[in-house]
Amino acid sequence: MTTARIRARRLAPLIAGVGATALLLTACSGDSGGETAAPTDFTYLSFAENTSIQDTLTSLSTGSCSAENEALPLDITTQPQASYDQQLQLLAGQNALPVLFASGNSPQVAKDLNDGGKLVDVDAALEELDQSNAIIPAARSTIEALYGGDVYVLPTEFNVEGIWYNKQLFAENGIEEPTTWDELTDAAAKLSAAGVTAFSADGQDGWPLTRLVGNYLFRTIGPDALQKVIDGEASLTDPEYVEAAAAVADLGKEGYFGPSVGSIDYMTAVNQFLTGEAGMFYMGSWILANFNDPEQNKIGAENIGFMPFPHVEGGEGSRDQLAANVGVPLALSEASYGGDVSAWLGCFAENFGSTSLGEQGVITGFAVNEPVEDLPPLTQAVQEKIDATTQSVLWFEALFNAKAATTSQTNASQLVTGAISPEEFMEMVQADLE
Amino acid sequence: MTATFTDRSPRLISFVRRIPVWIIVGILLVVVVYPLFWLLTGSLKTQEEFLNNPTWALPEDWTNFSNYVEAWTTGNLGVYIRNSVLAVVPALFFTIVFGVAAGFALEVMVWKGRGPVLLAFLAGIMIPGQMILLPLFTIYFRAGLTGSLWPLIITYTAIGLPLTVFMMATYFRSVPREIFEAATLDGANIFRMFWTIGFPLVRNAIFTVALVQFFFIWNDLLIALTFTTRDDLRTIQVGLLNFTGQFGQIQYGPTFAAIAVNVIGTLAIYLFLNQRVMKGLTAGSVKG
Amino acid sequence: MNRVLGDPRAILILLGPALLVYTLVMLVPIFWSLGYTVFEGNPITGFEFVGIDNFVELFNDPKIADALVFTLKYAVVLTVAQVGFGYLLALIYVFWLRKASSLIRTLAFFPVVLPTVAVALLFQELFKIAPVNGLVNDLLNLVGIPSVDWFASPDTAFLVLILMDLWRSMGFYAVLLYAGLVDIPDDLFESARLDGASGWRLVRHIVIPLSLPVLLSSIIFSVNGTLKVFDSVLALTGGGPGNTTTPLTLYMYQTSFTYGEYGYGSSIALLLTIICLLVTIFIFRSSRRDLTKG
Repeated sequence: MTTARIRARRLAPLIAGVGATALLLTACSGDSGGETAAPTDFTYLSFAENTSIQDTLTSLSTGSCSAENEALPLDITTQPQASYDQQLQLLAGQNALPVLFASGNSPQVAKDLNDGGKLVDVDAALEELDQSNAIIPAARSTIEALYGGDVYVLPTEFNVEGIWYNKQLFAENGIEEPTTWDELTDAAAKLSAAGVTAFSADGQDGWPLTRLVGNYLFRTIGPDALQKVIDGEASLTDPEYVEAAAAVADLGKEGYFGPSVGSIDYMTAVNQFLTGEAGMFYMGSWILANFNDPEQNKIGAENIGFMPFPHVEGGEGSRDQLAANVGVPLALSEASYGGDVSAWLGCFAENFGSTSLGEQGVITGFAVNEPVEDLPPLTQAVQEKIDATTQSVLWFEALFNAKAATTSQTNASQLVTGAISPEEFMEMVQADLE
Repeated sequence: MTATFTDRSPRLISFVRRIPVWIIVGILLVVVVYPLFWLLTGSLKTQEEFLNNPTWALPEDWTNFSNYVEAWTTGNLGVYIRNSVLAVVPALFFTIVFGVAAGFALEVMVWKGRGPVLLAFLAGIMIPGQMILLPLFTIYFRAGLTGSLWPLIITYTAIGLPLTVFMMATYFRSVPREIFEAATLDGANIFRMFWTIGFPLVRNAIFTVALVQFFFIWNDLLIALTFTTRDDLRTIQVGLLNFTGQFGQIQYGPTFAAIAVNVIGTLAIYLFLNQRVMKGLTAGSVKG
Repeated sequence: MNRVLGDPRAILILLGPALLVYTLVMLVPIFWSLGYTVFEGNPITGFEFVGIDNFVELFNDPKIADALVFTLKYAVVLTVAQVGFGYLLALIYVFWLRKASSLIRTLAFFPVVLPTVAVALLFQELFKIAPVNGLVNDLLNLVGIPSVDWFASPDTAFLVLILMDLWRSMGFYAVLLYAGLVDIPDDLFESARLDGASGWRLVRHIVIPLSLPVLLSSIIFSVNGTLKVFDSVLALTGGGPGNTTTPLTLYMYQTSFTYGEYGYGSSIALLLTIICLLVTIFIFRSSRRDLTKG
């Protein structure tokens, strides 16, 4: 006792001293100099997991954009998704953001960066380059909805989301493409009765489940359902919001996701659908790469149909409003923006769309400047669906802060297994929004 | 006494008494060896086998080494292993040398204030590594060290120090003080004493600590993830994440192949170090 | 004698490098981070002085309570299990296997060498239920017990986590403790045996007291590692289901780097550090006392 106290007394001034220095350090570390020289490379920081953007960029640098690459060579660095947001924070703190970078795991990161004046206004930059039409209208409206009306990211993907279904299983069980929620649950019941898992879903990651909640809300309350929550005009705990969570929880209660959806990961979910074990699969159009791979696709691409999330009787929303996202949006750092970078941006905006579609089979939010031949029929069909879409909706967590988004996704599987009630689920998410 | 009536029974009794031990050992072997077996066979399976066959199924083609090729070429495994070695070996060296010296100074030498200093080191064991990331990143960035392996080497050295110092102090404490006191009476210089008496006395302990630290550093993910952005600086643990896709899809085969390579490498190091540890231990017990 | 053993220049040379590196890389960043506890924000949005708000939030945040309870539960259960089983193994090595123990020692140690990502994958496979049963559920079915969805409920997820870490670390603690046991001179046992001590009595009166220092180091070591558990949880359960297996470290990392609340994250780290410090000092002091007694 006594020795400890003496020791503590002896240590006290030391700790106080170091503590004071720490405060000074903290205070000083805020003001990093804003001066940045013009970049010597076209640095691009990517998700390590995403290779299609890297490959498209590399292809541009040796092809259409080789002149720009000559002036400012492309230099790609990567960071795994798990630590990506942390890395952006650390780099932003040192005013050392790369010229071009993936804008983080959630839209919130780009919003924060933009609020701090660290991002290039892509809209203005493209207009200056005479490229105002480079971004297709559907992608533009998705970006505007996502980022509060501004365009400061580049849509390197444009995905629509909906329910993919196994045509053969539908035919065998006498099911027509459902257009309403009730028809959808009837279809699920029929599949279930036939011993087929109705919905294949990646419950481990959670987001494929909350996507259903979000879509249900957009159908019942309308496309602005979640904007209202963000604006404080409504709360997720309101009965009409809880109804959506309850509807999805009911699917789980009926066993439509199969046993133990919480332990199914992404690859397993895809595999269940592509081996004919599951009749329906909610997913974005990025999944086409897997569908078009005969190695993985055992049911055949011609056997896969796509339907928008169905209408909910008496709801404000409509089936025409496809859920959409822009994949991994890229942002440009304001500090390093200048002549050579803007030349790169111009070339990028002009050629990214067709290069990506032609070489990677990835549909982007950029206009395709030269027609791409020989697209797989399924991709072609989705491309047409996108062209016909006039209004799109987002997804459940799109406008949430990172905390609420995490809470929503980590608790999704508990919602469908009944471990927590729809009310509890919505309360938890709402609590983290405030 | 009673057991010596027949000469058969003691052996029988000792055999019977050993049965539970052998059962325990047997279970232990199954529990430890089977997962390793599973891991190695997993590296020979295709993605399809992983998804559609039962967990315990054996590979359909025992000569399917394409996963290794994949791991080595697209997975860049060679570069990652080199980086891991380049970061871990110097860090381990510095940790041990600095740590043993500090342990000696803190436990054998006599001076005021060594209690608090030891306590300060001990506190370091308790610091969550996540806490020092942001300041360290700032320091390394300002010092122009990002873009090299130095941040890893320096951080690993520092993080290993508290435990090394603490354990070395503990080991030096168990050495009878008379040994050092006698040496001073003989007029030995303190550095000679450290090198010729202190160091050899704790040699076993050094190997044990080195072994522990090696696996700590080798398996680190958090620090390597934070301080490396360039692919050519990445360590093997970060490299293992390369086989996971953007939506969480895992390429099981190449992942397992990469793990298998990692495991075989570390096993070799362990067997080598293990021998040294055991040699040291035997030498120690003979002396004891 | 004290002139040699107390030579300030020698102390400086021997202690200097360690202290310098440790201070610059650990202590300075720690206190630097402590400075952030009275700010809120992150490097992107900038920092704003908030006084003691972060500490007030610590006490009002229900997730902190959950994470704290989980962290302590995990630390206690795993420390008891891994040091206990490790000690048992070490005793088997020393007293039953003796010279033959080398191979088994190596094998049992081996799991600690495996990368966390690999071990987590392994255990996910072993305990999985969908789309097909893993080995564990198959074995359960074999004896007539229905399959369990191990990762769906907090208790079973916790159990798998403990089993995984126990599997990984048992052999390691066995080697650590073995090193301490082997150092006990043989003649001590001989004389104890001659006195009629055997089995449990021998262990209790000779083995445990003599291996106490290394046993206590192991406990300190284990407590420190388990209170700071991070990657095995992240890799195995990701903190789920929900946040029921989220330890303080993971919550702190999420708060700082995912939610962008760096100041609050630092406060959580401070809380964890204080807990660790109290526990260590407690064990450290009791070990010192026991050592002087013995």
